[in-house]
Amino acid sequence: MTPGAISAAGLTSSTDSALSVTGLSKTFGFSRVLQGVNLEVRAAEVHGLVGQNGSGKSTLIKILAGYHQPDPGAVGMVGLRTLKLGDSRHAFATGLRFVHQDLGLAPALNALDNLALTSGYRRSRSGTISWRRVRAAAEESLGRLGYDFDISVPVSRLSASERTGIAIARALDSAGSRPRVLVMDEPTAALPVAEVDRLFQVLRTVLMGGVAIVYVSHRFSEVLEICDRVTVLRDGRNVATRPRPSLDQPTLIDLTIGRALPLPSELVDRDPTTMDPVPALKVRSLAGRVIDNVDLDICQGEIVGVAGLTGSGRDELADLIFGVSPRRGQVIVGGEVVPSQRPDLSMRRGMALVPAERLLKAGLGRMTVRENITIGNLRGFLSRFGLKREVERQEAQQWIDRLDIVPKDTEAPFVTLSGGNQQKAILARVLRLSPRILVLDEPTQGVDVGARAAIHDIVRQETRRGTGVLLISADSEELISLADRVAVLVHGRIAGMYSTRDMTPSMLTELTV
Amino acid sequence: MVSTGASRQLRFGHWANRMTVTDTNVQAVNDIDPSASQSTRRHSRLPSVLNKISLLLIWAGLIMLFGTLRPHTFLTLATLRTLSGDIAITAVMAIAILLPLAANTFDLSIGGTMGLAVIVVTEFTVKAQFPLALAVLLTLVIGVAVGVANAVIVSRFRVNSFITTLGTASMLVATQQWISGNVPITFGLPKVLTDLGTATLFTIPLVFYCMVVIAVVVWYVLDFRQFGRFLYATGSNADAARLAGVRTGRIVSSSLVLSALIATIAGLLFVVRIGGASEDAGTSYLLPAFAAAFLGATQFKEGNVNVPGTLLAVVTLATGVKGFQLMGAAFWVQQMFDGAALILGVALAVRSGRQRVLG
Repeated sequence: MTPGAISAAGLTSSTDSALSVTGLSKTFGFSRVLQGVNLEVRAAEVHGLVGQNGSGKSTLIKILAGYHQPDPGAVGMVGLRTLKLGDSRHAFATGLRFVHQDLGLAPALNALDNLALTSGYRRSRSGTISWRRVRAAAEESLGRLGYDFDISVPVSRLSASERTGIAIARALDSAGSRPRVLVMDEPTAALPVAEVDRLFQVLRTVLMGGVAIVYVSHRFSEVLEICDRVTVLRDGRNVATRPRPSLDQPTLIDLTIGRALPLPSELVDRDPTTMDPVPALKVRSLAGRVIDNVDLDICQGEIVGVAGLTGSGRDELADLIFGVSPRRGQVIVGGEVVPSQRPDLSMRRGMALVPAERLLKAGLGRMTVRENITIGNLRGFLSRFGLKREVERQEAQQWIDRLDIVPKDTEAPFVTLSGGNQQKAILARVLRLSPRILVLDEPTQGVDVGARAAIHDIVRQETRRGTGVLLISADSEELISLADRVAVLVHGRIAGMYSTRDMTPSMLTELTV
Repeated sequence: MVSTGASRQLRFGHWANRMTVTDTNVQAVNDIDPSASQSTRRHSRLPSVLNKISLLLIWAGLIMLFGTLRPHTFLTLATLRTLSGDIAITAVMAIAILLPLAANTFDLSIGGTMGLAVIVVTEFTVKAQFPLALAVLLTLVIGVAVGVANAVIVSRFRVNSFITTLGTASMLVATQQWISGNVPITFGLPKVLTDLGTATLFTIPLVFYCMVVIAVVVWYVLDFRQFGRFLYATGSNADAARLAGVRTGRIVSSSLVLSALIATIAGLLFVVRIGGASEDAGTSYLLPAFAAAFLGATQFKEGNVNVPGTLLAVVTLATGVKGFQLMGAAFWVQQMFDGAALILGVALAVRSGRQRVLG
């Protein structure tokens, strides 16, 4: 590749390097999070970056974004320009763009404002904001990506893929330098399957515009679909960089975790005659904002899945059943009606919830793992003189050992755990209560493959105790591998109930549309 | 994974974390990923033990400094006596706000509540000539009523606690002036009360021992009762605590009632110690109390309000002020000191939590 070739043709060929980093190491305190990592992203390719939580991919991205300083010795190039690693202004100037997992949009503002906040409000000659020009600019940059939606409503009311679109448009829009590489960090974590395809179309449009893409994801099926080449990190080192044709899902799993997945425990015999004739959970005429007249029964030891697109009421269901938000209709656990808006009473009746947004709705951030595990019920530790700390610590330790939570330290602050371990701690919290009904809302969201398999295994084991499980998930594969039956939500109603025995993810996806 | 539990007992919700109020700040909390929190952890691991008891070192330094500069006035029993008396009331007030603060709830009305107690108990005993026990009982009832009013507004009408108690604080000051006609009773109190005020045990005033009892009770409740755990859980993440079965509304309400009750007791102790009322009795204690609670949050349980840290902060601040006064500093030194301490306390806590804080 020569500089002349580029300027002459004005184009880059697909084997040219858009971004390369060599010999990248990063040490935090005494531990090396990255050890001599190399990454090479070619122009006009989608480059997958995969690895478990803690493999160092977040750190790698943060160094690219200039948020962390690398250890000395690393060399970065964007195209033919040297990239000063650890300098966010320089990263931007050379053309690196980032869309982070949480998108970083202001939810109460509309698309216009979200775009203009970064790219600047176009002004008229007198200096006042020219809304006509702001609108035109926003429509243009979203239209370029193929979006056409109402840009005047707050982004919190848009669909997840539309929000992602705004974030991408904002990243590519920013004035000052030409975008060359777009780094997408877990862009589909919150996207339902149908909207993933929409995102992929957008990414292909971006690619056509001459911007290479780094695609970071836990979802191997997506990586295999969209990426041209994939780099795998494990324990802060390169494991492999391979073109897609030489990869399949089992290979990727092997490469990321470095060992075969533990075999799931065998399924319980689900002969209907052995099931309790009285359902553990009965839901009658349930209604909320979107949910409309839903009836649902869950027997002891049964896992019932719920599938549905964003906007189908899927994300509202757990809150309604557990009694977090106001509802109409009845929820009956073990023959007793559970009052609404009293999570504490729902728990006393034998229900337990693992909420969808772990850090916002489940984690007691800076409290210890012990306190996070035991918060649901402290009665066992109460004596006349107060809490018996040692008894509490021992019980927490048992749960840590049983669910293999790392670090094996009851006193570690909750926020310092990785996503998968946080989720296991929340699971320990609810399993400790020996619930009759376990409501799992997106239980493996943002969790790596190893932890995901472990969580699935824990849930299966729990059903052997006779616990009925309601599994609400945007992940079709998860629903099929775990649930006995799947209810498909469409526009707030149950459109159908299906056995998962012979179902495939694509069949389920089709049913949700 | 590096094990942190052994060296660092960061146990309950980080108060700065709890004070994140806007959407974007919640996002910031959400944004903490394993690698980022690892770096935060290591960042705060290095100073570790010394940092956790830094106030103790500063306190010792102040004693040595003033002891050397003013050996004949500073290192005396008289200083110990006045200091421990001064400390007692500030400390009770600081302990009063700990309870709501642990649940990420503000009570800015404790000053007003204390002031009202001061006015009411003197009016009852001197003007109305009620028996002392009745006067004290009625005062406590009024104090609790103030707390209940705060609690109802915050948990039933869902008004932010900062705003609610800012409003009630002003109304309480108005009530004080209304009742006293802005002429506080400064003499004529029952002899029992004034005797109690001058009584000492081992040269230390009795009010100091009252404060110690209150401190021990609150420390026990925060660390060894279910209620304390629920307070910290509510403060750490109210939504999560509610979904884990904690009745957060009740927890917040109870903390506001308790803070009002303890502030009322502070008012009674003030009357005992001074032997009369004063028009700004309550409000002048609000800022020192907050300063001590926030500065105390940087000690022992790094990042969390706690009783031992608060007491240490009160003692250190009072020692500093007293020393400067003996050096001939002007009367405004105390307010300057307290204000600086408040900002310093919050700044340190923000640094260790890397969170933005209300305001």
